[in-house]
Amino acid sequence: MSNRSSEKQIGHECTRINTNKKEQSSSFLIRVYSCSFVALIFLWLAIPAVAQDARQIVDESQKRGRAASQHYEGVLEVTTSNGKVTTKSWQSYRLGSYGNSKAVIRFTAPAEVKGVALLVVNHPERSSDQWMWTPAIGRDRRISLQDRSTRFFGTDFSFEDLEERDVDQYDYRLTGEEPIDGAPCWRIESRPRQGKTSQYTLSRVWIRKDNYVPAQYENFIKDQLVRRLHQTAIRNVQGIWTACALEMTDLRRNSRTVLRLEKLEYNVPMKDDDFTVQSLRRDQ
Amino acid sequence: MILLRLISWPYVRKHLLRSVMTTAGIVLGVALLVGMQTANQSVLQSFNQTVDRIAGKTQLQVSAGDSGFGEEVLERVEALPQVRAAAPAIEASVDTNLQGQGKLLILAVDMTGDRSLRDYDFENGDEDVIDDPLIFLAQPDSLIITRDFATRNGLSTGSKIALDTMEGRKQFTIRGILKAGGMAAAFGGNLAIMDIYAAQKVFGRGPRFDRIDIGLQPDVSLELGESLLRQALGAGFTVEPPSGRGRQFESLLGVYTAVTGISSFFALFIGMFIIYNSFSIAVTQRRPEIGILRALGATRGQIRTLFLAESALAGLIGSSIGAAIGLALAHRITHFTAQLMDQLFGVPNNAQEVLVDPRLVLGAIALGVIMSMIAAFIPSRNAARVEPIQALQKGRYQVLGAGESRTRRIAAMIVGAIALGCLPFGRYPVLLYGGFLLAVFACLLLTPFLSLEMARLLRRPLKLLRPIEGALAADSLIQAPRRTSATVSALMLSLALVTSQGGLSLASVSSLRDWMDGALNPDLFVSSSTNFASTEFRFPSVMEAELQAIPGVDEVQSVRTIRKDFRGKPVMIVSADMASLARRVRRKIIEGDEKTMNRLSSEGKGIIVSENLRELENIHLGDTIDLPVPTGALKLPVVGVVRDYSNQLGVIFLERAVYVRAFGDDTYNIFRVYAKPGISSEILRRLINERVGDHRHLFVMLNSEIKDYIMKLADAWLGMTYIQVVMAMVVALLGIVNTLTVSISDRRRELGVLRAVGGLRAQIRGTIWLEAVSIGVIGLVLGIAAGSLFLFYDLQMAAHGFTGMPLSYDFPFAIAAILVPVILGAALVSAILPAETAVRTSLVEALEYE
Repeated sequence: MSNRSSEKQIGHECTRINTNKKEQSSSFLIRVYSCSFVALIFLWLAIPAVAQDARQIVDESQKRGRAASQHYEGVLEVTTSNGKVTTKSWQSYRLGSYGNSKAVIRFTAPAEVKGVALLVVNHPERSSDQWMWTPAIGRDRRISLQDRSTRFFGTDFSFEDLEERDVDQYDYRLTGEEPIDGAPCWRIESRPRQGKTSQYTLSRVWIRKDNYVPAQYENFIKDQLVRRLHQTAIRNVQGIWTACALEMTDLRRNSRTVLRLEKLEYNVPMKDDDFTVQSLRRDQ
Repeated sequence: MILLRLISWPYVRKHLLRSVMTTAGIVLGVALLVGMQTANQSVLQSFNQTVDRIAGKTQLQVSAGDSGFGEEVLERVEALPQVRAAAPAIEASVDTNLQGQGKLLILAVDMTGDRSLRDYDFENGDEDVIDDPLIFLAQPDSLIITRDFATRNGLSTGSKIALDTMEGRKQFTIRGILKAGGMAAAFGGNLAIMDIYAAQKVFGRGPRFDRIDIGLQPDVSLELGESLLRQALGAGFTVEPPSGRGRQFESLLGVYTAVTGISSFFALFIGMFIIYNSFSIAVTQRRPEIGILRALGATRGQIRTLFLAESALAGLIGSSIGAAIGLALAHRITHFTAQLMDQLFGVPNNAQEVLVDPRLVLGAIALGVIMSMIAAFIPSRNAARVEPIQALQKGRYQVLGAGESRTRRIAAMIVGAIALGCLPFGRYPVLLYGGFLLAVFACLLLTPFLSLEMARLLRRPLKLLRPIEGALAADSLIQAPRRTSATVSALMLSLALVTSQGGLSLASVSSLRDWMDGALNPDLFVSSSTNFASTEFRFPSVMEAELQAIPGVDEVQSVRTIRKDFRGKPVMIVSADMASLARRVRRKIIEGDEKTMNRLSSEGKGIIVSENLRELENIHLGDTIDLPVPTGALKLPVVGVVRDYSNQLGVIFLERAVYVRAFGDDTYNIFRVYAKPGISSEILRRLINERVGDHRHLFVMLNSEIKDYIMKLADAWLGMTYIQVVMAMVVALLGIVNTLTVSISDRRRELGVLRAVGGLRAQIRGTIWLEAVSIGVIGLVLGIAAGSLFLFYDLQMAAHGFTGMPLSYDFPFAIAAILVPVILGAALVSAILPAETAVRTSLVEALEYE
């Protein structure tokens, strides 16, 4: 799917959203993160003294994405190297913003996964806790995330790609400017600091100068580019600039995953009780 | 070498049949040894390979016996910073319901975290092994199978396969295929991966895991990890590398290996007598040759070396053939042993490959050669002592010197007395096994004297039976005691083996029947599997009420049996309502007062142990047992010791409430159902199947069926021993043929003279037949007598060495009664060929002989 056609498809849904004109101070990066199906995408936030500009850009991007809550309907399309396409749909709910957010994803299609729900409880200082409810088995389970480099349920995202990260564990460097999809962007490199375990040795992020939305990520393992995330259909939803189409390409497997966000809403009333393991079972 | 070619080879060629028969004993002994041990090693290797392959990168495993443990333990393990990855697992084997495919080993794991420890598609690192991981997790009918299994059964992604579950037989969907090799080769390729939470449901496990596989942080040593996990979890958990599971299996297989090993050695031992016999005869027959060689300057050492080299060569050829036969048989024995282990201990094994251990094969061949040389040592020494002049003289060499005979008798008395003196100290293995060997030695020392005396005793009845043939047959035996005694020794030993093993079997069966009549008295047994030793499927606790509600059910005793490491050995823990058991079950009390025992055990204030556990672990009434359990340590006094044959390594009876508290496990695997008076068991079985079996996976067995099943298991256990006994008999009978052949050869001239003076062929034939029967009679008498003595030792070994199960001494009259016609008939059959050879030999040739 080309970026422009993605924008057209998703634009229709995004324009239906009741936009709030009030100025938001939240980082745009967080908005992108909150749109992903576990509401977590790459937060490259570190504060190295030698890269003040890069850190400030990432920090601003984070601030612009903040919202009290968020809801959307997601459509995920995985295309394997041999052209096989599988599609899944779900409802996503998120309460809170970076650091202490909680999210619930409830699958609605296909029939085999309908009712499967995922609860993600994020922590600022460590990896998130995740639980899964499988109605056919009739029980919840804690998802073990010991190997975060593995793929997230057959998509091209790895568990690590979906995690909120401690930004202080990365070093950032502004390496230049470069347009993505015609929009001028800052190009920033990040490397995990010593002691930080990551499958990636280097990441690059392109942040748009006009709205601070990350337009693209490239992740490297030992200087080999392994994954690229391209974000398009960037819309202002209730004052928060949000990428409504995310395309992750696994360059080693030659497969890609496209996530489309539909019926996106921010600051929808939600209760803490709806984000518990019990609620997964209750609300099936 | 030159002597071998010039002297030995012509002799072997001339007496080819006898040479073949001489090595037959070694062939059979080595075949048994190689076959049995190869099979045992293959089964063990197969188990270890399966453990190793499915362990992946697992460094340590946490387990708590068959009961498993609650899911919360995983969090305790994960909380340790030294733990890099912790993956829970459940294992179960289920019938594939596909013809000829046997069982499928289900490895149930949490696929969201398990890949840190296991490569599911190791060939290229591709993760497309699962068609859709989310569907795999969401649907409890998801299975991943191996490429090998898929190809064999024409399955592909999306295919269905029927498996038994706690909710009856259900269709499962293949959602992924593992590429060949590595983990996919475990359990002979009959491996399937299932989601662990689906497996909990399918196998009725509840929220429990069998074990947790652990990978440590790179800088944490195995020892440190082991110690930290032990500290964190307590003594109720076993923390060990995956290889530890192999050790547990080895301890279960150990008893069987020991029993088969002893029988194999016994067969070899008997084979030695055949060699001794043949070489004694060869020395006798080749005295002139030896005399000439000595006259030509051959030294005594050269003569001795010649015979020893002959025996070594015979041993080498016999052993090599035996090893080849053993390896050829090993595949079938391996399959049999694997099935036996599954049925007896509930440990599935899919041993497909025979592990050929070069050390075992070479060791067995070397053993055959050494035993052959040992057997030939005395004849070789005698050959070396031959004086050239005496070599031409006849008659003297066969005489058993009176002094020699007396010395042997005295030695036999002393050795026998020591052997008997060892009997009361059966608890001490050295004295027990030493005593047994001395008893065998004493019997062997006495055999020449006793066979000579018996031959003398037989002369009169033989003469009465057939005046000429009888006298000739008896005289032949009397005049050649050496020739006879070796064969009689072999026959005696094999018959003693038959008698003692038969006695042991009868005692086992009789004791088992007594126990079953008292302990297994419910009308019906409801089990989660046809194999009672298997505890993979478990019933929920609510099922007790479901059964109790069925009309016609008088009482339901709900039982949970698990295997748990106790003092390094997997003993069986039987938990049930002890008061109910006490009311219904008749048990032989070995230690303790019945009323007190039942009261205290039902109040959860003590445990009852089986008699064999008492024997094996020296546990007695009043001792406090410290049983490590998942919730900590369970310390309870022994309030009684009862006779129980449920498990070869011992049983601990525990009140149900105590078990549930200590193990956190409220499932069952057996229900003992008593019918109301007047209600037929068959009708009740139908009702249970209709009302409970419609929604649960269960097997209902009648009392008679369960007893037959146990007896079948006992037969299977003893089956291999029976085969070995038959082999030993064959070796012994070969000895008779050998002896008669030599006897005829020795008496060729004598028989020729008989025929020349008018002896009829029928008379010659009758003489040989009677000689064979006489050897049979002597062997029978001595064998049964020795067997009745060996039985004492066998019972002691069973009681103290292998199973700790004391069995009562009952002389196997039935077996002895069967042996008489069998041996005499076999002796007659053995005599046919030698007798015909004797009567068909040319008279001129016979008179020219010597």
